[in-house]
Amino acid sequence: MSEFLENVVGRDPSASKSAPVGALRTDVGSTVAALETKALSAWFGDNHVVKEVSLIVEKNDVFSLIGPSGCGKSTFIRCLNRLHEETDGARVRGEVLIPGAAKRENIYAHGVDPVSIRRRVGMVFQKPNPFPGLSIFDNVAAGLRLAGIARRNILEEIVETSLVQAALWGEVKDQLKKPGTSLSGGQQQRLCIARALAVRPQILLMDEPTSALDPISTARIEELVMKLRNDVTVLIVTHNMQQAARISNQTAFFLMGELVEMGQTKSIFTKPKDSRTEQYITGRFG
Amino acid sequence: MIELSRRDGTRKFMNYFSLSLLCVLAFAAITPLFFIFAYLFVRGWGGLSLSFFTEIPKPVGETGGGMANAISGSLVLMALSSAFGVPLGLACGMALSELKKSFTARILRVSIDLLTSVPSIVIGLFAYALVVVPMKGYSAWAGGFALAIVVVPIVARSTEEILKLVPSSIHEAGLALGLPRWKVLIQLILPGVRAGVTTGILLALARVSGETAPLLFTAFSNSFGYRGLSAPTASLPVQIYTYATSHDETWRQLAWTGALVLVFVVFCLNLVTRILTRRTL
Repeated sequence: MSEFLENVVGRDPSASKSAPVGALRTDVGSTVAALETKALSAWFGDNHVVKEVSLIVEKNDVFSLIGPSGCGKSTFIRCLNRLHEETDGARVRGEVLIPGAAKRENIYAHGVDPVSIRRRVGMVFQKPNPFPGLSIFDNVAAGLRLAGIARRNILEEIVETSLVQAALWGEVKDQLKKPGTSLSGGQQQRLCIARALAVRPQILLMDEPTSALDPISTARIEELVMKLRNDVTVLIVTHNMQQAARISNQTAFFLMGELVEMGQTKSIFTKPKDSRTEQYITGRFG
Repeated sequence: MIELSRRDGTRKFMNYFSLSLLCVLAFAAITPLFFIFAYLFVRGWGGLSLSFFTEIPKPVGETGGGMANAISGSLVLMALSSAFGVPLGLACGMALSELKKSFTARILRVSIDLLTSVPSIVIGLFAYALVVVPMKGYSAWAGGFALAIVVVPIVARSTEEILKLVPSSIHEAGLALGLPRWKVLIQLILPGVRAGVTTGILLALARVSGETAPLLFTAFSNSFGYRGLSAPTASLPVQIYTYATSHDETWRQLAWTGALVLVFVVFCLNLVTRILTRRTL
């Protein structure tokens, strides 16, 4: 049985609601980074879109990536769960280290199965993308069911916990059998967050999760992201600098595929070291 | 000024004239459909009774009897052909949508299109050589096999088309959950396009329910009703062919009624696909 299954099945269902998700993970200690990239580069064909990016994300942090359109920030996070390589002509070079069972492992090391990495590094996309034809319940349970978990009580438990975490439970608990696509845009996005959380990832990647949503839905998701940091490390790509300032602890600024600057969100926004960062955050380009 | 407005009038007239001409031609083109319906109705309706569906044909010279043998046979053949053809067609369609524009996919796509255009009599011959000869006799197996060859390309192409409509973000959502590609496709994408896939299957069934040529020397025919999958099996189209060319008045009436029933079934299958398509798209 995979580590993933042990995590999910090996728990006492009655305890799961109160237990934080973080407690299920192999404890790597607070001094160890949740994620580190070393000279990570990515290409689309001949187009070098991410250039030698090295950064460290601390555990249980909310880490935001900002930068103008086309600066490579989305491609960068798509490298972190090995989704980038699913695109035709896409290539990656460099290392991405995440804590493994015993020690940190490079997700691009030879012989590492991308499927097992994606269970540990979840993702929420720009546009809500619930599985069409699947109910709200089945959408959240999809990742677990297909990983071989069939016991109804376990599924129900995890679906509920995940929907509670995604701040959607109250709105949908009486209509779990309705199609996921019947929800509003903001609810669909929270459904997608619940779906990603259900497989208990250690890291959650969010690629502009609120750019397709109205201000109220956006506020709800921001609130939810700030709560999630207790359970999971969040990397969020955003176009909205206020959003980055509101919810994140660390911020990285990307420009033309390069990491220009990273650090505490507050210092990036108040006293940036690089003049390009300053120009971007003061609205002179981008 | 006057010159201009006259030309304007001519232009408007030409516009109306050509549009009306197109409409008239379009209706002329579909007139045969109405004639077929009307004629079948007039000739076939009289023979329609419960016994048509429940009784087997009587020998030449006797009145009465029905086409129960052909109806049950057609159902068996359609079931067999979908049992063979639908899974293969689905597999082809899914492979095409996964392989996208690769070399393998192109070869597969061209082959499937060629298969669609193979004359159905040739498919019958092929099934004869491959199934009838080794089994030493006509059988439902052979007929089902021949019809399955007709089903595969129709289901394959319609499945591919419907899967192409699923946005890649849905695939990515599945992959991001840590699921292998094949599981995402079969268990998460396919349920979402159920209606579309069903449409393709029903269209294929509508098509094979009227196929005659592939059955002439595979399933052949019989006058007794279902005798097992290894026995010759009657079908509506073949029975219609046989009876319509006979000299017996009762048999010819059965052929007309059979044709009416067959057209009605095909019409219903098409109608259901219409409704399903409207619901999905």
